[in-house]
Amino acid sequence: MNAPAAMLCRCGSGLRPARCCAINPAELPSDETGRHLAPLVERAIAAQRQGASETAERLCLDVLEMAPNRVGALGVLQQIREAQGNQLAAETLLRRIVFFDPNNFSATNELALKLLAKGALHEAVIHARNAVRIAPGNPQSHNLMGLILTEAQRPTVGEYHYRKVLELTDTRDPILLANLAWNLKNQGRMEEARALYEESVAALPAVRQTLLGWARLEEADRKFDAANDILDRMETLWPASGPAILLARAVLLGRMKRYDEALIMLDRLAEQSSDGRLGPNELTEKGRLLDQMGLYDDAFAAFAEGKRLARELSGQHYLDKVAENLTTRLGNFFTAGRLQTLPRATVREDVPQPIFVLGFPRSGTTLMEQTLSSHPRIVAGDELPLIHDITGLMPRMLESPLNYPEALAELWMGDQREGLDNLRDYYLQKVAQMRILTPGAAWFTDKMPLNETHLGLIALLFPQSPLIHVIRHPLDIMVSAMSNHFTHGFSCASALETTARHYVRVMDLVKQYRSEMALRYLAVRYEDMVTDQEATIRSVLDFVGEPFDPKCLHFQENQRYARTASYAQVTERLYDRSRFRYRHYLKHLEPVIPILQAHIDWLGYTVD
Amino acid sequence: MTSPRDPHYAAAAPRLIPPSRAVPQRLGDVRVPVPLVELFTIAAGFERAGKLEEADRLFAHILAVAPNQADSLHLSGVVAFRLGRQDEAVAKVEKAIQHGIDIALYLRNLCEIYRTLNRLDDAVATGRRAAQLAPNDPLCLHNLAVLYYERLEIDESIACADAALRIDPDLASAHLSRAEGLLIQGNLAEGWEEYEWAFRIPSVPKMMPPTNRPQWRGRPFDDATLLLVADQGFGDVIQFSRYIPWVLERCPNVVLGCSSEMVPILRQFLPSSRIFYDWQNCPPFQAFCRLSGLPRLHGTHLDSIPAPIPYLHADPARAAAMAQRLNALIPGTRKRIGIVWAGRPTHNNDNRRSARLSDFAPLADLPDIALISLQKGPSAAQAGLYFGRAPLINVGAEIADYDDTMALLHCLDLVVTVDTSVAHLAAALGKPVWVLLARSPDWRWLMNRDDTPWYPTMRLFRQTVSRQWSAVMQNVADALKRDAFG
Repeated sequence: MNAPAAMLCRCGSGLRPARCCAINPAELPSDETGRHLAPLVERAIAAQRQGASETAERLCLDVLEMAPNRVGALGVLQQIREAQGNQLAAETLLRRIVFFDPNNFSATNELALKLLAKGALHEAVIHARNAVRIAPGNPQSHNLMGLILTEAQRPTVGEYHYRKVLELTDTRDPILLANLAWNLKNQGRMEEARALYEESVAALPAVRQTLLGWARLEEADRKFDAANDILDRMETLWPASGPAILLARAVLLGRMKRYDEALIMLDRLAEQSSDGRLGPNELTEKGRLLDQMGLYDDAFAAFAEGKRLARELSGQHYLDKVAENLTTRLGNFFTAGRLQTLPRATVREDVPQPIFVLGFPRSGTTLMEQTLSSHPRIVAGDELPLIHDITGLMPRMLESPLNYPEALAELWMGDQREGLDNLRDYYLQKVAQMRILTPGAAWFTDKMPLNETHLGLIALLFPQSPLIHVIRHPLDIMVSAMSNHFTHGFSCASALETTARHYVRVMDLVKQYRSEMALRYLAVRYEDMVTDQEATIRSVLDFVGEPFDPKCLHFQENQRYARTASYAQVTERLYDRSRFRYRHYLKHLEPVIPILQAHIDWLGYTVD
Repeated sequence: MTSPRDPHYAAAAPRLIPPSRAVPQRLGDVRVPVPLVELFTIAAGFERAGKLEEADRLFAHILAVAPNQADSLHLSGVVAFRLGRQDEAVAKVEKAIQHGIDIALYLRNLCEIYRTLNRLDDAVATGRRAAQLAPNDPLCLHNLAVLYYERLEIDESIACADAALRIDPDLASAHLSRAEGLLIQGNLAEGWEEYEWAFRIPSVPKMMPPTNRPQWRGRPFDDATLLLVADQGFGDVIQFSRYIPWVLERCPNVVLGCSSEMVPILRQFLPSSRIFYDWQNCPPFQAFCRLSGLPRLHGTHLDSIPAPIPYLHADPARAAAMAQRLNALIPGTRKRIGIVWAGRPTHNNDNRRSARLSDFAPLADLPDIALISLQKGPSAAQAGLYFGRAPLINVGAEIADYDDTMALLHCLDLVVTVDTSVAHLAAALGKPVWVLLARSPDWRWLMNRDDTPWYPTMRLFRQTVSRQWSAVMQNVADALKRDAFG
């Protein structure tokens, strides 16, 4: 018995809400009660196999109306909705299958892949881990972990799982090799990655993703001719090109400063799309090209449209209330009076120590890391998600019923006095597993943007670690945030105004931490790094406690590949163009100047 | 020092001229059902009782009806001044003078408002007019004495105080003005004597419960117990604690009353058992003496100031722990410069003596230094707004008491501070300390010199323009580059 459309669940499953997203677990029939429905489910499966989807759908809806927890019917209905392109319903049904049948490897695998595809990495990791728990000997579970952890900025863990697949299958599958190559490229291990791409392409020469990844590797490694050759080869294989190839070509031409040609590529890309328009990434790339060409109004229009489209397609928006709640609670917790009663973690003398490179996304943290990691005693750790992880793990590790930061109150308990040491060791152990440390290194950098949100926690865990805060004209950050996509900071960069609001929240928090704590904190202006490079680097290294090394002046020779969005800039010599770039966009930035004005003044900048 | 020299700016008894006589009013404008005279009396009562918000509201009603009513304008201006609305205060009192009848009072108060706003030339002109209109009003003259001190025209200041005292020889605040003028000129002997009047000013809080015991006169006092009272601000206590050994030579049985914060300082001279900070615990005594009265009893002249530097010492264990902490926070080769940019905000001279952290910008641009904040109190929050090139380590956030402060000072290469207790403490510890002084500084810093006989390791940097720190800070930065670290 099917309900009228108006009464159906909003997810699009075809079920009534009470049998779908508003399900009441207490009303679910037991397996025994629903046993008589098994033949109907079998008929649905058979119908689906025979291509009779309508019959299969009707049968599934009937079964699920009576027993919404019949996993077999859920599975068939999910396949039908997937085939219909109803992503929301398909995802909802997959989640329900995994909920009712946690050991269902196939559904877990599929759900994890679906979450990966839509960029919900945190959740994807959870299901990928479950897949390994369900089937530790199944190569696909490890492949899933490899895929997802590579994208979740934990490439060393991803590499482990890819290599586990190689071990379990005892074959060198070309696709797997290409995936592993992409992983190694993200670790900056370019030669190893290149060798794997060569091996993969030799075995299977015409795989788009493989060739695209290889082209990206060469482009990132500044081998523009090699990248060009690969894209040429792709155009030979697929004369009609395709959006991904055209975008890769546009990016490459942009890096080669052939802006007009790059724009032509994007125009061709738009012509090929169904609605004649570019997608969010392509619009952002177009904006960047127009910016390079000095067409600032057109550039900003492209950026703004890219943001709008990204919001529309992904549904991502700034989590205003969540951000407000966290920053308010952090501000209330980290006060001088309370801090005087909290212990500090001791300092481990036996392992390299972190240097925290702090800053809002797009403020120059990558440049700072590249500079520091040119020093022989400092290695780059990149964006380590570990402080964020610790904030989530803290309640469990400190056995607290409270969340972070209130869970730190457990440190007053006699049995948790060493709690911070345990959290510190978690961080350091994970760093060791990431294999970023090299012999002779005394320090590693952690440049996770917005780690300054947790400055208080960091100072409790690593009271002697240098905190290098890269600051930059807030309006330049706004321009840069508009011309890039990033999800840090509760997706604040989904719009100009929310970027500004989050900036203010975080800087207010930094102000509070600095007022209430004795921090080993040094603010470094991005602009000083551009105009007064040597003095600035000398000052930073002295603050770290390391002697000056001239290699740091030539960070662009640092062979390390900086994986984040800044890589194209940091592989060039310092240039002045990125300083006070906001002036070209002033009229577009007017809506956020009132939000930022006080902070612009604090920082000693002006708007002119 | 808690200066009791505030000029009298509040109104005398209100003398409202009925609006019908004083100012032409259109009856049709009257919207308040209570007669204005009564409203004024109530509002003036609120002002006297310190209920400024209530007074403000009532005056707003009155002035809406009678916008040119002089007494209301004047007193409303005084209320605005006390509420921190300085520009409005000036406008109202100036308007009252335009429409007033008995204007000496208004001028006297306007003189003080101008002085507070650093409009010193306007203040002099206004104050002189007030004195001409009311030649027998000693308060007008006293206001002028205070004003001339601020202009660093000390002879004129003393002359005005003398003139006020000729009219009212018991006007304690004029004696204090005279004392400060004499002291800053280096005439310590006469200055100390006049300074004793400070404690007769009615508005000065009593330093101790009433007693029938006599004040100590400085003579040996072998068998009896002498009570020393650590009066005035923390800086004064640190400065004058140097006299305690001199007292002990004459009076072995000393007990000392002080605020609890001062115990870490004073127990370096006396066992803790002889120090109390709650009058309920005050033991019996036969005579008493204020710490700030000791220079007079000692007969201190400029060339006989006892300066056994260092006369205070950091606790070695605390100093070692602090050194370790600082080494962890600032491991490089930078020189460590402690800074304090503001004093206690309730100090009546605070708007002149305190700076802002942003004023330290010339120091922040120097290479090879680290700034260590010793700042406490509400101004410490400015540390969060600092983004200078030199790192600023806010150790002040971890300082709990003067023991911590002494330990921290012990670890520094130099202290640069406005005129606060930290200046005295660093100097008493024998540390190099550079003090940033207002144009008209406290009397103890004397005039026209960059050193002080009170502390040999201290260097003074004086404002040349009142309330402007930029030149002072630039001088400090230049001196740091030139002299400090060779």
